[in-house]
Amino acid sequence: MDVIIKLEDVSTVYEGENRPAIKDVNLTLERNELVYVVGPNAAGKTTLLETINGLLPLFRGKISVLGLDVLTRGRMVRCEIGYVPQDFMVEPGEPYTALDVVLMGRYGRIGTLHRPEEKDREKAVEAMRLLGVEELADRPMGKLSGGQQQKVMLARAIAKKPKILLLDEPFSNLDPESKEKIPSLIRRLHEENELTTIIVTHDIHNMLKQCHRAIVMINGRILIDGSPEKALATINRSVAFSLEAIQ
Amino acid sequence: MIWLEFTIMGRALLACVLAGFLTGLMGVFVVRMRLSAIGYSMSHGAFAGAALGVATSMNPLVTAMLFASATAFLIGPIADKARLHADTITSIVFPLNMALAFVFLTLTPEIGLTSQVANILWGSIIAMTNSDVVYLVTLSAATLAIIYFTWKELFAIMFNRKLAEADGISTKPFIYLIIFISGVVVTVSLKLVGGLLIYALLFNPASSALQFFEDMRKIIIVSPLIGVASNLSGLVVSLFLDLPVGSCIVLVSTVVFAVAVLLSPKRRRMEVQ
Repeated sequence: MDVIIKLEDVSTVYEGENRPAIKDVNLTLERNELVYVVGPNAAGKTTLLETINGLLPLFRGKISVLGLDVLTRGRMVRCEIGYVPQDFMVEPGEPYTALDVVLMGRYGRIGTLHRPEEKDREKAVEAMRLLGVEELADRPMGKLSGGQQQKVMLARAIAKKPKILLLDEPFSNLDPESKEKIPSLIRRLHEENELTTIIVTHDIHNMLKQCHRAIVMINGRILIDGSPEKALATINRSVAFSLEAIQ
Repeated sequence: MIWLEFTIMGRALLACVLAGFLTGLMGVFVVRMRLSAIGYSMSHGAFAGAALGVATSMNPLVTAMLFASATAFLIGPIADKARLHADTITSIVFPLNMALAFVFLTLTPEIGLTSQVANILWGSIIAMTNSDVVYLVTLSAATLAIIYFTWKELFAIMFNRKLAEADGISTKPFIYLIIFISGVVVTVSLKLVGGLLIYALLFNPASSALQFFEDMRKIIIVSPLIGVASNLSGLVVSLFLDLPVGSCIVLVSTVVFAVAVLLSPKRRRMEVQ
């Protein structure tokens, strides 16, 4: 068993708040596992991802990623993680091209004070080609549509050649055709490179199709950790329960 | 006498070019990293330090440097350690530095509004010494070298600090570095423009360049050029109209910014969209 991500009794509190955004979370992911995380808004899904990559300070518990303590070795851990944040949009007029943004994904890997080389550029272009946005390389990022920007952000995560992928609502702005294609592409890359992948989504259809393990989060806690079918049943039950409560 | 005037003018021209280049360059980082409030605080820190230097007959450059560095330290690492928001700490430090500056200037009434005090307030080309020019040359070379080696990290932080952190870049040391270099640049340029106006040199050229280009590499080249052009034009205006050089430089750079906003192709395209 090759454990890549391990959370033990983890609680995370945002600065200035009293209530933890995630509470007493225990989670173990092995190499080559692909997990979808679903749940209502404010369930703690984004907090879970940002706690794993060490972007949020830990309130309680222990997180080990790739055998490293995230609290003390956070930067090293993040160099191995391809991360796509939720709803990341670049404003029009921002002075960065799409290729700049993808290439930046590799900066942590290149190392401090070193400059990107031709091979880094090639990997960035290759990732853009995979996502079908190669022709947008020289376009200003802020002029791309929401869907195109989302593909560029996915290319950025992939160009890093990470060991772990943390994707927060990565398909939300895609057109229907891309919503079918891109999740399959991510799964293929995940399998080919033996990645460990967590995808936060509201897209139940893709969850059922693409993964064998799904997590349902509600109120900062993991309610279900099992098959996607089991997760779906839980979601349906909670929706029915909410409807009953409203009626 | 002619030789003396030539030397003063040559020094002033060189100082204008170097100070314009440096402030235009650092301004891009200050504006893009949203450190503007920190820039105000540091320039007024340098102003307070220079006032202390005048009041105590110490070298104003040294005391200005000490105050700017202390301000940078206070609003950088110490504020982070104390978990104080940038707005909060700069709102405290900015008036504190101004209050200190006026206290230092009135502590020794015999100084009054001497030329030395006037130089600190609104700058003077005559005040620039050979040493000041040497400092500016050295600082320009050092700043260019630092930016060359840290460009990748600075580029990513200017795009989005959180994403840069997620990519595995420790953003804090690079932000502190920019704050510190900006403090030194402000201090060394203080004599030319004056403590009350120096921060305009940091923001105006960068903000003007940002109106035109959608490529950060072009902005980082054009902003220092705008800084140099504004300084030289301001110097010429000041000589012809016999007005303080600092004020003329700031007025010219503000006009450049206004024209940039009016002609901005980016702004026009946004309106069309």
